[in-house]
Amino acid sequence: MNCIVCMTHVPDTASIIKIGPDGKHIDESGIKWIVSPYDEYALEAALQLVEAQGGEVTVVCYGPARAEAGLRECLARGAHKAVHVVGGEETLGDSMAIAKVLAAAVKDREYDVVLCGVKGVGTDNSQVPQMLAELLDLPHVTNVTKLDVAEGTFTAEREVEGGVEVVESPLPAVVAATKGLNEPRYASLKGIMAAKRKPVEKVEVSALGLDEAALAGAEATYSVRALELPPAKEAGKVIQGEDDPKAAAAELARLLRDEAKVI
Amino acid sequence: MEYKADMRDMKFQLFEWLPTTKLLEAERYAEWDEENISMVLDEALKIAQEQLAPTNVDGDRIGAQYADGKVTLPESFKPAYQTLCEGGWVGITTNPEFGGMGLPEVVGSAVNEFFFGANMALSLHVLLTRGAGSMIENFGTDEMKQLFVEKLYSGEWGGTMCLTEPQAGSDVGAVKTKAVKQDDGRYLISGEKIFITSGDHDLCDNIIHLVLARVPGAPPGTKGISLFVVPKFRVNPDGSLGEPNDVYTAGIEEKMGIHGSPTCSLVFGQNDACEGFLLGEENRGMKLMFHMMNAARIEVGLQGGALAGAAHQAALAYAKERLQSRHWTKFADKTAPQVPIIEHPDVRRMLMWSKAYTEAIRALLLITSYYIDMTHVTEGEEQERYQSYVNVMTPICKAWGSHWGMLVTNTALEVFGGYGYTAEYPAEQYMRDCKIACIYEGTNGIQALDFVARKLPMKGGKPVMELMGMAEKTFKKLKDDPQFMEPAWMLAGALKTMQTISKELQKRPDGMLITLLDAFPMLDMVGTILGAHFLLEQAAIAKQKLGAIFESKGVDPKDEDASKKLLEDDADAAFYHDKVQTAIHFCYRALPLVSAHAAAIRAGELAPMHAVMR
Ligand SMILES: Cc1cc2nc3c(=O)[nH]c(=O)nc-3n(C[C@H](O)[C@H](O)[C@H](O)COP(=O)(O)OP(=O)(O)OC[C@H]3O[C@@H](n4cnc5c(N)ncnc54)[C@H](O)[C@@H]3O)c2cc1C
Repeated sequence: MNCIVCMTHVPDTASIIKIGPDGKHIDESGIKWIVSPYDEYALEAALQLVEAQGGEVTVVCYGPARAEAGLRECLARGAHKAVHVVGGEETLGDSMAIAKVLAAAVKDREYDVVLCGVKGVGTDNSQVPQMLAELLDLPHVTNVTKLDVAEGTFTAEREVEGGVEVVESPLPAVVAATKGLNEPRYASLKGIMAAKRKPVEKVEVSALGLDEAALAGAEATYSVRALELPPAKEAGKVIQGEDDPKAAAAELARLLRDEAKVI
Repeated sequence: MEYKADMRDMKFQLFEWLPTTKLLEAERYAEWDEENISMVLDEALKIAQEQLAPTNVDGDRIGAQYADGKVTLPESFKPAYQTLCEGGWVGITTNPEFGGMGLPEVVGSAVNEFFFGANMALSLHVLLTRGAGSMIENFGTDEMKQLFVEKLYSGEWGGTMCLTEPQAGSDVGAVKTKAVKQDDGRYLISGEKIFITSGDHDLCDNIIHLVLARVPGAPPGTKGISLFVVPKFRVNPDGSLGEPNDVYTAGIEEKMGIHGSPTCSLVFGQNDACEGFLLGEENRGMKLMFHMMNAARIEVGLQGGALAGAAHQAALAYAKERLQSRHWTKFADKTAPQVPIIEHPDVRRMLMWSKAYTEAIRALLLITSYYIDMTHVTEGEEQERYQSYVNVMTPICKAWGSHWGMLVTNTALEVFGGYGYTAEYPAEQYMRDCKIACIYEGTNGIQALDFVARKLPMKGGKPVMELMGMAEKTFKKLKDDPQFMEPAWMLAGALKTMQTISKELQKRPDGMLITLLDAFPMLDMVGTILGAHFLLEQAAIAKQKLGAIFESKGVDPKDEDASKKLLEDDADAAFYHDKVQTAIHFCYRALPLVSAHAAAIRAGELAPMHAVMR
C-alpha cells in the first residue's frame, strides 16, 4: 500500500491577514505557515494505512521555497519521503493549474491511493482533488470522514447534506479528507530528528513538461482582480431600557425589522 | 484553559541572543539544527496548548484524589501524559543510550516553559521522573541502569525524590528513615516521608522512589545520609513487575495550588518488607542527591517564569478586550465611549512590568541552561568555568525566578480586576500554582543562604566577578547610545554598589549576621543586575534589527506617523521595538532595588534582630 499525500502550505488560521501592496496577494510578512489542516487528516489516514498494511507515504507539494518546512513537518510525522515541486506563486489559487502540476508530478510514481485535504485553508476552493483525479483518470471521493481500505478496493463515508453517503470504489483512487476522519498525530522528537535525514526531492515545473508561465498566463483558468478584507465589525448598539422598558422593546423591534432586516 | 506563550521571544532569546546555533554544531548535537529545533518548539507549544492546557482546570478542580491507600489523578491527565511519553518529551534532554532524546538543556528549558505554563501539576511529574532516571543513570549499578533508566526516560514508570520528613524540612540532615543492610546486599527501609510529589498516582505502572535514609551508626547530619532506590512494586530481573514493595500511601495534602499534583505521605516498611538498593556509597547520599536537586532547582525557577509568562499573556489578551472607563485624554468628556483597559496608563505599566520580569526570568533560565550545555561540550578549564557559572546561578534561578515569577502572577491578576479573583479566569490559578515554586526544592530563604555562604565565596568570588564583568561589558557597550545611556549608567551604578557591599561585608564585625539577615536581598541584587544586563544585551540586538527594518522599508525613524504605521504593520518591527522598551523599563523599575537593598545593608539595619516579636 503506497500512498501519495498532496500537501499545501497555508497561513496559520490564527494569522492576521493583511493585503499586499498589489492588492491581489496577501502580505506574507509576519505570517506563520502551516500544513493545511485538512491535509493533516489526509496524512494521518495515509500513515495509518501504511502502518497497517506496509508500504510508503510520499508527500507531494507544489509551492514556493518556504513550503519545504511543511514537507519536513510531514516527514517528522512519519511520511517516508517528499517531493517538492518548486513554484506556485503565480498560479496561486488556480486549482486547474495546481491539479495539472500535481498530476504530472505523481503520474509516474507508484501508488495505490492519492490522499488530499478537501480544501486548502485560505483559498478554500475545494477543487484540486477532483481535478487531479480527472487528469489522472481515477475515481475520486471527497469529504471523506471514514475510510476502510481492502485489497484493491475501499469503502468511504462522505458527508452530504443531512446525512452520510457510503461509497465503494476500486483502487487506485483520489480521496479527499475532511474533519472527523481521524485525529492527526503529533510529531515525536524521534520523528523530528529523523526528518532531517529523509529525502526531499526537488522538482522544477519545467521538468514535468509544463510551462509555469503559460499556466499562469495564457492557460490560466482563474485570475484575482482584487482582494478585500471583510468589513470591520461595527460597534454594537446598546438600547437603554432602565427608564422605559416598553419603549426600549419597541425600539429593539424596530431596529431588528428596519435596520437588521431579520424580522 | 487557554494557554498562550510568547514564541517570538522564545525564538529570539534562543537564536538571536544566545549562540544556540553555534552550540548545535557540537558533535553531541549533530542530529539537531536551528530548523528542526524550531519544529521541536512549535510542536511542544502545540502539545502544550492542545493537550496540557485543556486539562489544567481538571487538575485544579478535580485534583488528585486519595482513597484506600491509592491516589488517582483526573482522567483527562492520562491521554495528555501519554502524548508526552509517546513523543519522547519526558526524556527530551537525556542520554540517547537509554532512550533519551539528547537535546540540549537550553532547548529542554524552552520546551519545559511551555509545558509548565500550560499545566504545572502534570509537568511536575515529568520533571521528577526524568530526574530520578538521571540519578540512576549517573550513580546506579549496571543492573539498576538496565532495569530502571529507560523506563523512566520514556515515562513508562514515574520517579520521586523523598527527602522531607516532619522534623526534616529545610534541615535535611535531620532525616530519620532507616536502612538496614541485609546479607544479600539489599537494604530494608523503614520510616515516614511527607510532602512527596507524585508519591503515588495512576499514570504509571510503577514508581521509583529515591529515598534519603540512615544506616545504623551513621554520623549525625547530612554526612550520615545514604540514598536508596525504592520501587513501589519490586522489579524482577527480567524487568517485569513483582510483589508490592511495602510502600504505603497514608494520605495526600489539601493545598493552595497544584491540586493536580499529589503531595503524598509515604510509609516505608510498615510490614518490614520494603527493599531498597543503595545508590553510590553509604553516608554519601546527600552529595548525590544534589545532582537531582540542582537540576530540579533550575526547573523550579523555570516554573516561576513559565507561570509568569502564562499569566502575563492571559492578562495582555484580557486587557485588549475588557472595556472600562474613558480614555485618559477624554476623562472630562462624560459621553466618551469606554475603551479597552489596555489604554489606561496604569494598566500599561502593569503589563510592561510583567513582561519585563517574565523576559528577564526567561533569559536567566535559558542562559543557565546554555551554560550547562557548554559544560558538556568543553573540557578542562573552560568546562570548569561554565560549571562555576551554573553553580552560582542555580540558587538565583530557583529563588529569583520563583519570587518574581510569583509577583508577576500577582500583577497579572490585578489587570483582570475582580474577574481575576474569580475562578472564571485563569489568573487566580496561576497565582496559586506558582507560590509553591518559592517553597519546595529548598525555600527561597535556604537558596539565598546557599548563595551567600557557598556560591558567592566560591573560588575566591571569581565566578560571580566574571558574571558581573559581563554586565560591565554591556554597560560599556551601551553607555554612549542616547537611548540606553541612562539605563546603562544605572546598571553601572548597581554593579558598583554590589562591589562596595561585598568588600564592606568582609571587613565589618557584624558581617556574618548581616549576611544571614540580608541573604535574600543580596541574591535579589545579583539577580536584578543579571536581569538588567540580559535585557539590555537583548535590547541592543533588537535595536540594530529594528534599524535595519526601518531602513529596508525606507522609513525615517524621525517621521512619527510613518514609524507608527510601520510598527502597526510589521510584527517583527513591533517585537524589536518592544524589546527595547522592555529593557528600559526594567532598568528604571527594577535596578533601583539594588540601591534600596544596599542602603539597609550598608547601614547595618538590624531591626529584625533587635525586635522582641512577642
Ligand atoms: C506541594 C509540596 C511538594 C513538595 N514536594 C516534595 C518532594 O517531592 N520531595 C521532598 O522531599 N519534599 C517535598 N516538599 C517539601 C519541601 O521541600 C519542604 O516543605 C521545604 O523544603 C521546606 O521545609 P519545611 O516545610 O519543613 O519548612 P521549614 O524548614 O520548617 O521552614 C519554615 C521557614 O523557616 C525557614 N528556615 C528553616 N531553616 C532555616 C535556616 N537554617 N535559616 C533560615 N531560614 C530557615 C524557611 O526558609 C521557611 O521560611 C514539598 C512540599 C510541598 C508543600
